[in-house]
Amino acid sequence: MTLTLTINGTSRTITCEPHESLRTVLRRAGCYSVRYGSDTGETGAAAVLVDGRLVSADVMLAVQAEGHRIETIEGLSVPGTLHPIQQAFIDTGAIQSGYSTPAMVLAAKALLDRNPNPTEAEVRDALSGVLDRETGYLRPVHAVLRAAAILRGEEPASVDVVHLDRLEGSGTAHHDRDGLAPLAPRVVPNSDVPATRVVGHAETKTDAVKLAKGNPAFTDDRDLSGTLIAKVLHSPHAHARIVSIDDSAARALPGVHAVIHHGNVPRVRYASGGQSYPNPLPHDQVSFDDKVRFVGDRVAAVAADTEETAQAALDLIRVTYEPLPAVFDENEAIRDGAPVIHDEPDMEGAHDAAHNIVHHIEARTADVERGFAIADRVIERTYRVHQVQQTPLEPHIAIARWDSDERLEITSSTQVPFHVRRMLAPLLGLPVKRIRIIKPRIGGGFGAKQEMLIEDIVGHLTMATGRPVRLELTREEEFVSSRSRHPQTVTFKTGVDANGKLTAQEMRVVANTGAYGTHGLTVQMVTGMRGLSSYNCPAKHFECDVAYTNIPVPGAFRGYGAPQALFVLEAHMDDVAAEIGMDPIEFRRLNWTGVGDPLDIAPQLGEGDPEAGGMPIIASSGLEEAVLQGERSIRWDRRADPGWRQPANRPHIRRGLGFAMAMHGTAIPGLDMGGASLKINDDGSFNLLVGATDLGTGSDTVLAQIAAEVVGVGVHDILVYSSDTDLTPFDTGAYASSTTYISGTAVKRAAEQVRAQIVDRAALLLGVPAESIDLHDRAAWGPDGRCVTLAEIALSTLHRQDQHQIMGTASHVSPESPPPYGAQFAEVEVDVETGQVTVTRLVMAVDCGVPINPVTASGQVEGGMTQALGYAHCEEMVYDETGRMVNPAFGPYKIYRADEMPELEAILVQTMEDSGPFGAKAIAEIPMDGVAPAVRNAIADATGVRINRIPLTPERVWRALQVP
Amino acid sequence: MQFFRPSSLREALEIRAAHPEAVPIAGGTDLMVEVNFGRRRPEAFLDISRLPELREIRREGPNVRLGSGVPYARVIRELPDQVALAQASRTVGSPQIRTRGTVGGNLGTGSPAGDALPVLAAYDARVVLRSSTATRTLAWRDFLVGPKRTALAPDELIVATEWERAVGPGSFSKVGTRNAMVIAIAGLCLQLDEAARGVRVALGSVGPTILRAPEAETFAAGILDEVGAWSDRGARVPEEAIARFGELVSAAARPIDDVRGTGAYRRHACAVLATRALTWALDDRRAAAMEAAS
Ligand SMILES: Cc1cc2nc3c(=O)[nH]c(=O)nc-3n(C[C@H](O)[C@H](O)[C@H](O)COP(=O)(O)OP(=O)(O)OC[C@H]3O[C@@H](n4cnc5c(N)ncnc54)[C@H](O)[C@@H]3O)c2cc1C
Ligand code: FES
Repeated sequence: MTLTLTINGTSRTITCEPHESLRTVLRRAGCYSVRYGSDTGETGAAAVLVDGRLVSADVMLAVQAEGHRIETIEGLSVPGTLHPIQQAFIDTGAIQSGYSTPAMVLAAKALLDRNPNPTEAEVRDALSGVLDRETGYLRPVHAVLRAAAILRGEEPASVDVVHLDRLEGSGTAHHDRDGLAPLAPRVVPNSDVPATRVVGHAETKTDAVKLAKGNPAFTDDRDLSGTLIAKVLHSPHAHARIVSIDDSAARALPGVHAVIHHGNVPRVRYASGGQSYPNPLPHDQVSFDDKVRFVGDRVAAVAADTEETAQAALDLIRVTYEPLPAVFDENEAIRDGAPVIHDEPDMEGAHDAAHNIVHHIEARTADVERGFAIADRVIERTYRVHQVQQTPLEPHIAIARWDSDERLEITSSTQVPFHVRRMLAPLLGLPVKRIRIIKPRIGGGFGAKQEMLIEDIVGHLTMATGRPVRLELTREEEFVSSRSRHPQTVTFKTGVDANGKLTAQEMRVVANTGAYGTHGLTVQMVTGMRGLSSYNCPAKHFECDVAYTNIPVPGAFRGYGAPQALFVLEAHMDDVAAEIGMDPIEFRRLNWTGVGDPLDIAPQLGEGDPEAGGMPIIASSGLEEAVLQGERSIRWDRRADPGWRQPANRPHIRRGLGFAMAMHGTAIPGLDMGGASLKINDDGSFNLLVGATDLGTGSDTVLAQIAAEVVGVGVHDILVYSSDTDLTPFDTGAYASSTTYISGTAVKRAAEQVRAQIVDRAALLLGVPAESIDLHDRAAWGPDGRCVTLAEIALSTLHRQDQHQIMGTASHVSPESPPPYGAQFAEVEVDVETGQVTVTRLVMAVDCGVPINPVTASGQVEGGMTQALGYAHCEEMVYDETGRMVNPAFGPYKIYRADEMPELEAILVQTMEDSGPFGAKAIAEIPMDGVAPAVRNAIADATGVRINRIPLTPERVWRALQVP
Repeated sequence: MQFFRPSSLREALEIRAAHPEAVPIAGGTDLMVEVNFGRRRPEAFLDISRLPELREIRREGPNVRLGSGVPYARVIRELPDQVALAQASRTVGSPQIRTRGTVGGNLGTGSPAGDALPVLAAYDARVVLRSSTATRTLAWRDFLVGPKRTALAPDELIVATEWERAVGPGSFSKVGTRNAMVIAIAGLCLQLDEAARGVRVALGSVGPTILRAPEAETFAAGILDEVGAWSDRGARVPEEAIARFGELVSAAARPIDDVRGTGAYRRHACAVLATRALTWALDDRRAAAMEAAS
């Protein structure tokens, strides 16, 4: 049928099917800012204004919009201008990936058009229907309040860095603020850090404008005519052999162009984890197998003219299965007699496939038995951590096509374009040189996209049809057929002497890697590394079995084994402190690692080479200061205030505070590599080409700041183009908290080469020695105050005299992985009648070296804590007895919304890490580490109940409270 | 596939009679989820979102008549004195769902987790149904006949719900992982009726359909009578009696184990919600009594 819609003031006649949603129709009409988040209206990514009110376009029938006024963000501002709300989102750092920013801006507009002076609570309510997985909502809330102030004609508050006084050695001062944390990033400066012009400042993101405007920038915003839609047929069985597949009816359906499955796709072994060459064993996957190993495993894929036809074709594929017994629990899976999940003869590289043991990992620094023998107390507890999903708001999506040179070009929402290219080549039977991977803007990844997950499917289908093919996972598929966090059962045993010093630590892990190994080895190695690095202890032992089971596949998830380890370690340290009657922070302080201490378990777990004398030594730590800052902000002294702990007017409420220490790594030493190249343009601007993959984290901006600092320009004079395997240098990709540290150093080196060439030409033009020249404000300055602009230098070198392209190319790999440290605090209220926990405040003080951009760094902490809070409190993948996930949708799978958030505070404690660019260490993952144990310890503080599993759902807490 | 867009109720009912296969769509917030998932692909839609007759709120004396097409956002703005209903409306979904979603749609879906439904049950509301030839008015319990099953005939539309406003405190509350949760572990509405000296309590999400708790209601009304609280709003009700009320409410629940919680826990949650709701109601009355006295 045809309908006439008034979109952004223009009347448009559109053809559509009567059942189509307004989102589908608006996207077809070119409003790419209306985005897919799910089919259920829960994410709000497709929110638009209808008659000035916010509606979810995914659950509104397009036809019902006829006669109403529809506004999308495309209508908010013309090219070259910004609406004040958009400007406020940019200025406050409220945009990370920007996938849901258009929806938030519209939600803000709907509010402010009616209420020019909203309260914080009203802003939170207005944003509550737009889920965000990245910012923790703090900056978006500030953005709306700021926009309101600007629209009222008021002067908005400054966004620039606020310096806090150092507390170490000065005694704890009192903290007197509650409520919305200030917008300006809070930094505790360090006198060792040299002054800089661009680095360390609150620069706005280089990609913020296009994201604030909702310009086409994501994979799905490419408009390729003739694109076929791919759909995947998933296994309904947790474990089964495929006896036969009859695809004849599907092939015969008009509009179907290809059907692929194990019968017509070559069997090539691979491991899907996006990791450096050679991919760690086991190589236990093939594109399509004759066996399925979890509900949601791949069976077949089709490419068809429309989504409807593709779906209809799936329904016509006749598959005969021979169901096999399945096993879901990691401990049961490794017992004798459990069903064998990988029994295929060409399986490569599992430790003991007959017992479903993919890997057995052992690491020890000394004899722990002796350590336990000399201990005053030995305490042992078992903990369980569960499975959660990354839930990037943008699901996995890839579009493949043959380019004019008949090379396969795949645009993909991936964190690892270079790994994908390399891993894809053998599966498709193409040489690497005939594949190009382009990563546009992506709507979050969190590790789920550190995987070659769907690119082989679109590749096979484009090769089979010659046509462009698009595959986007639905929200349900994103839950079930993507990746997730590894569940683990962990037994931790600690020996302490009479003074509270550790004598031995032992960590025994059974980890669940689901149906495939992918990141199973390396995630669990990080678990060992993180579980046994925070504290000094003369004897440490790590033992881990990684089990195959029939659950959907865990993989990389922000934190990568560390959140599991640190939940266990920090819950356990709290338990030990309680058992031996010590203050939980004092007990940790007595044992925690600091500058000069060795990371003694590291060489055993593949980091640092002991043969080469390479015991890693900690070179910087701001932990002590971080703990003091956190104690002050959370008002730790209230633990001793009975009136606060048990409010008189709310008899069923108990309050408590909890602490957890966090320590992480920065990149994989000796392995993670990043490259960069920088060249000057006629006007003294620069193109920066990097392989590094910005997932919305702001890494493009941070890298631009590093380059800008070195060559003496502003951040917006650096034009960043990132991660396109044809055009940019190699980079391992966005994982392991490596981008700032590794790719940043590569950028710094390339920029230093450029700087040297600029200085040479400036010396020539100014007639002064090169050593005397300084670069700043887009010019080269001689000692006498004369200058020549970079534009003049560019024109001189490109056109006039001794011509050459001023450019530099460099790469970097680090032998070290300097640990960032964090102090995580949580304040909770427990309703002892229902078990409902309300987390009222989260504070994290982090030592990330020198934060290159304090706004994006604070955003990482705020958003990371929020994601970690979901892990602690309410997120969980739940299965029925057949292995089918019962909650693959937002809602039943609960993530925090703007109106449910605790107060958040991020404090950045500077240290000077000499091995990092301008002193930087990592920040991206450490905020995932401390929240779960801090909340758990706060519940213990409030109620005395120590709970050894997460998430801390009302029922779990209530049940724990019932145990006498 | 056809799409009907009548502009009056009469026209709509005629189409309904001629095309019973056409599925009525109001805000679409329930229906579109089904359609997007391909679980439902109706042969035809009947768009009832533009019928002025369904978008009316009428009040005559104590009687309230709420058009089936009124979205939650308007309930919140226009019926603030129907405290429990406004509270329930505020917990539905998110702002953009409240812009479109209607109470009529909540009834039409008839899910035991529909947030407006326990309130309508506690209000003793009636559902007004009309076809091109007749009008029927059913008590809520005769309309909500089972899990996602209603008494709607294929040629009928829900035009309104109506109730007599009870004078007395009322509240809606739910327990979830967080304060708001798309589907609650348990939802409860309590309404006191001072004139009839009655206590009404209804439960959502803890049975195949919305449940009232008659034993608990009788017990509570009796206790208030015993302590003289109906005539003296300041009179105290013993804690044990309130706890007993909670137990009786909990006994009326028929929850199952599911992803949100075990049946046992949800039963317990009902008891807590009930004791709290009654405590708030009694506190409200006491506060009002004190104010009146001063
Ligand atoms: C993201 C999201 C969150 C949600 N959260 C909640 C929540 O917290 N609590 C809650 O209770 N619900 C929630 N819902 C469900 C939904 O919003 C409500 O049930 C709402 O009341 C449905 O109203 P509607 O007008 O959109 O119904 P529609 O989808 O238009 O209709 C629903 C059903 O009722 C029938 N129907 C509608 N009106 C009539 C009528 N006048 N006569 C006859 N039949 C009719 C339709 O044919 C259909 O079968 C949520 C939905 C979404 C998408
Ligand atoms: S900025 Fe919100 S999901 Fe990315």
